Amino acid sequence: MPCPYLDYRREDADHAFDTERAYCTAVDEFVQPMRADICNDRYDLDHETDCEFYTEAESE
Amino acid sequence: MTYADYRDGKPVILTAALTGGVHGKEANPNLPETPAEIGEAAAAAERAGASIVHLHARRDNGERAFATERFQEVTDAVRARTDDVIVQHSTGGTGAPNDLRAEPLRTDPAPEMASLDMGPLNRYQHLTSENTRGLVAALHAEMQERGIKPELEVFNGGHLNESLAILDSEGSRSLGQPARSAGDELDDPPYLNLVFGGGTTTIPHPRNLLNLVENLPAGVEFNVLAFGPHQLPLTTMGILLGGHVRVGLEDNLYYRKGELAESNAQLVERTAGIAEQLGRPVATPAEAREILGL
Repeated sequence: MPCPYLDYRREDADHAFDTERAYCTAVDEFVQPMRADICNDRYDLDHETDCEFYTEAESE
Repeated sequence: MTYADYRDGKPVILTAALTGGVHGKEANPNLPETPAEIGEAAAAAERAGASIVHLHARRDNGERAFATERFQEVTDAVRARTDDVIVQHSTGGTGAPNDLRAEPLRTDPAPEMASLDMGPLNRYQHLTSENTRGLVAALHAEMQERGIKPELEVFNGGHLNESLAILDSEGSRSLGQPARSAGDELDDPPYLNLVFGGGTTTIPHPRNLLNLVENLPAGVEFNVLAFGPHQLPLTTMGILLGGHVRVGLEDNLYYRKGELAESNAQLVERTAGIAEQLGRPVATPAEAREILGL
């Protein structure tokens, strides 16, 4: 299941893209492609255990 | 290779790592991601002096892809735009299951070269690329079947141990360690890529490059790869030590501190100029094939 903090966007204040890209609303940044694997829980990854941004956001 | 190779003016092989799988256009908008962009970047890198292009594949939105079909699109785009460059596919993939790791080897034609990770690599807080001996052996066996030369990825000194263990015990390298199993032998010359950076890669300092080079057995060819601000100094040192070098946006997003690189070709061009200035000619793809026994 995708991370609840994942959003796909084409732009923010600093970037604009032709294609929507993975955006982490927990840190308000576009994320690196490898991190998007966790956001989307691909390849047996799990945002609840593999993403420090998720765990930090959930602990607040 | 040795310092004598430097003094003898042996050609240096430049590899361009064009895109990688870790960061994307959010980090540097000049980093190529689509097959067409990667193809154009490969052509420009070849013109700048690269004789090998190290390839990863991406989805249209920049995210990682491992499927043979996507690698086929990328390698087709590269081959259509380049003259004679050597294609090297990555088989790395932190967090990716083992059955995906061999897919980049299955394009038609097969890549002339492919990376082969020699052991575990940590990234971020919770991710490890395990690279068990079983996986390494399986990937190597498939490379042998398809005539693909491996580039052994030595992320740290322990991975040099792992590399030595699969070198041919019947060779003249005085290794003292047998091949781990039948079929493990490497075609001459073995090609080792020494990696410097953070995490579980070797601490990026000149003394550590010297140490690894001193521990290489005779008869191998080595390449130097260093991340970020270490790319320029350590690859330059690699040239002086008779090694080959890899540069590109996969490893380093900046041309100098605070200034994003304009392209992969810009980084290749700088390294080619340094090599020429230091008295080592830049290898053509044909010369690289001869040096590497392709």
